[in-house]
Amino acid sequence: MNQDSSQTPLTREVFGNINDLSRGVFYLLAVVAALVFCWGVWRRVRLWRRGRKSASAVPWRVMTRRFLTDVLWQPIVRRGRLGAGRAHALLFGGFCALLVGTILIGVEHYGAAAAGRTPGQPLFHSGLYYAVYEFTLDTCGLLMLVGCGWFAWRRWRGHSTIDRHWTDVYVLASLMLLGVTGYLVEGLRIIHEQTRQPGVSYVGLGVARGMQSLGIGVSLARQIHFQLWWLHAVLALGWIAAFPYTRLLHVLVGSFQLVTRDHQPGALTPISLEEVEEHGYVGAGRLSDLTWRQLLELDACIACGRCQDACPAHQAGQPLSPRDVVQSLRDQLNHWQPSAEPPADLRNDDDRTSGAALWSCTTCGACAQVCPLGVDPLGLITPLRRYQVGEGQLRGGPANALQKMQRSGNPWGLPIADRMDWATGLEVPTAAERPDFEVLYWVGCAAAYDRSARNVARAVVQLLTAANVSFAVLGPEERCTGESARRMGEEFLFQELAAQNQAVLQRHGVRKIVTHCPHCLNSLRKDYPQFGPSYEVIHHTQFLLELVDQGKLPNPRGRTGGVTYHDPCYLSRANGISSAPRQLLEGTGQDDPQDRLVELPRHGANTACCGAGGGRMWMDDNPGQRIGSGRIDEIIDSGSQTVAVACPFCRVMVGDGLADRQVGIEVRDVAEILLDSLQTES
Amino acid sequence: MKILVPCKRVPDADQKIEVHPDGSAIISAHLPFLLNPFDAIAVEEAVRIREQRDGETEILAVTIGEEVCQDELRTALAMGADRALLVVCLQPPDPWNVARILRAVTQREQPDLVLMGKQAVDDDSNQVGQFLAALLDWPQATFASRLNFVDNGLRVARETDAGLETVTVSLPAVVTTDLRLNEPRYASLTSILKARKQSIDQFCLADLAVELEPRLEIRHLETTASARSCQWVTSAAELVDRLRRETH
Repeated sequence: MNQDSSQTPLTREVFGNINDLSRGVFYLLAVVAALVFCWGVWRRVRLWRRGRKSASAVPWRVMTRRFLTDVLWQPIVRRGRLGAGRAHALLFGGFCALLVGTILIGVEHYGAAAAGRTPGQPLFHSGLYYAVYEFTLDTCGLLMLVGCGWFAWRRWRGHSTIDRHWTDVYVLASLMLLGVTGYLVEGLRIIHEQTRQPGVSYVGLGVARGMQSLGIGVSLARQIHFQLWWLHAVLALGWIAAFPYTRLLHVLVGSFQLVTRDHQPGALTPISLEEVEEHGYVGAGRLSDLTWRQLLELDACIACGRCQDACPAHQAGQPLSPRDVVQSLRDQLNHWQPSAEPPADLRNDDDRTSGAALWSCTTCGACAQVCPLGVDPLGLITPLRRYQVGEGQLRGGPANALQKMQRSGNPWGLPIADRMDWATGLEVPTAAERPDFEVLYWVGCAAAYDRSARNVARAVVQLLTAANVSFAVLGPEERCTGESARRMGEEFLFQELAAQNQAVLQRHGVRKIVTHCPHCLNSLRKDYPQFGPSYEVIHHTQFLLELVDQGKLPNPRGRTGGVTYHDPCYLSRANGISSAPRQLLEGTGQDDPQDRLVELPRHGANTACCGAGGGRMWMDDNPGQRIGSGRIDEIIDSGSQTVAVACPFCRVMVGDGLADRQVGIEVRDVAEILLDSLQTES
Repeated sequence: MKILVPCKRVPDADQKIEVHPDGSAIISAHLPFLLNPFDAIAVEEAVRIREQRDGETEILAVTIGEEVCQDELRTALAMGADRALLVVCLQPPDPWNVARILRAVTQREQPDLVLMGKQAVDDDSNQVGQFLAALLDWPQATFASRLNFVDNGLRVARETDAGLETVTVSLPAVVTTDLRLNEPRYASLTSILKARKQSIDQFCLADLAVELEPRLEIRHLETTASARSCQWVTSAAELVDRLRRETH
């Protein structure tokens, strides 16, 4: 495509064939569209500003990285939903290229005008640049159209779980029409301007050839070009005006949310008694009790339903859908009068946010993990639960567990004096007996009181003793961390228990804590530093692996034939610990494929919840609706003889689930399996 | 409508209760205490009655004892009681005297209904409701497992050894609650802390013109040996077999 400098440059005129009057009207309409757009955005901003403060600053470096990966590259959009992900990539990629192209045209047009160039003497929109530009944009327009078509087909065939709204038809149809009219206008322009080298705009050229074969000549082409240009312009401006009023809003709000989001998996925001005294209630009773960021998240949600698909409660047929929780609140936000004083109470007649729905949540965090727009439905469920608890809407099993935590410092309500019964026959020093200990072993209520879970603690202390670790336990001084109380929404019971435990930990000068309970681990790691000093908290699998690496424990021979491992949510998803238990089970430094673990379909950070988190441990379910029963299927289908667990609650749930199916698969903690393998060797 | 709910502070029955070596009392130093569960059912029922009647009901919780008993009144307030009243009495009165004090409170407050637990889980006396009805000469319905308001009073389904017996009492009346009447709501720590702000009226016995007439004297407490043991069985069949052979 060599340029002959004697010829007029290879280019096309911007606003060619559009007279001055039309240009004036176009700019007027553009101003109107921009105003409608701004008004729509401002209307939402005004609603968000009624939310509570949310102070957090994300460093610029992180925001830039997130913009490049989460917003532009969008790995989460493609994960899990191949069809929708690819369609989105085509639509998004094509659209972005067209947007950049339009901006470049604008730069060219106004730049040339400022430089006093006449039409036909472009600044840079000519020659090779022009050829590449035209070719790229023609291609990207096709990609966008394919993406739109793909989405339309998915909808029409009912493949999509996305929530439906009539404006969606408008959004998709106007995008497709924009693309089609764009090509038509291009083709007509090629005919009437007799553009040189039309092959670089190959789609437009195809259109032009088609029209010419229909007998459309230069003058007719000029006429139709003018009319279709107007249709194209009106569609484009209408689309811009509709932006903040349709699902398109997610482009702006979702990008903002993805770049600036600040929620940490497994972490919760504390509340103070002063706040409660000021409001007269606790948690979210009104939209204004959510933070501005949470209100903004409601607008980022496009109701795609990925969170619902990932939700273990929804999978089990419980009345919870994280998407519906978000959408219920969004509906209320849409009808919210920002000026109303006091703000209206949240609806209590919406099934989507009923007590039954809220209490189905295991707080596993899968919903927030899969959200392509960085929305955290779990972050909304907790304040709603807090409100329910504060208003006395909790009864039965979970209420009893909380009362027992209040009275006896453990959810079983068993005597404090019995807290060391699990260690009968073993030498387990308490912090009071061995004040110079290096590592505190946090036993937790499950191992202290549950007869079956005791074996985990007994295995751990035998391993610690074998490795000559200087450790101690708190014994009768230990109380429930309050983790499940906090997840259930009983914030002040949690804070009271945390204060008691913090005082004991500080009195004994504790620095490093080892625990086999991921819930205790998460709470000590992420909840406790909000109310006092922080500690180095590690899981027993990590600590045992350290001991193996240091040679203090023999390298476990991989005896993992027929063993599978179930990742606990609060270990793998919330705290990113998933390799230590695997290395312990497989034995380090060995490559015999026989010793490989059998992996379950959902593992690592994408694990499937057993159903015990978030206080669900204390709730009864119909046998047909037990959360985690899908997980039991996966374990049975894996053909393993043993399922290794790393959480006392998973141990109970998986054990009960397997017993229910009358399957003889053994459920054992990683520490128990390790102890066995060492004892067999010696 | 005004409902009086007598509430008692009792030790947590889940705990190991130990008797002082001299047999004078139980060791209560580190023992958690709570609102008697049957009284919690009475508070819950009163709150439900108020909810059904669109709030035209006042719920008054009353307890007799030391200052520390305010904790249980706060629980009742957190569950929804409107007012709380503490009758300060340093010696724990026996059931007869509890009923006499409650009579004085009843005469002072003029409730339409006294709703209380059928018994307290500490001494399990099961006497106060009956005494109180007799002292007031009011109708009584004990061991209620269902309450319905009818034109001329209250229809109560009572739990008896033979099954449910339904009686109708005119108001004012004394009704004692049984286990299956309802499932009490959780008094969250948040609401208990909020209830801290509510003031609790205090009276001494002299204010109520009551002089204790003890009829019961506790001479000595001791723990009875409980020879229960726990054994694991491997199958349901083994359990059935052992129950057959070993329980005769």
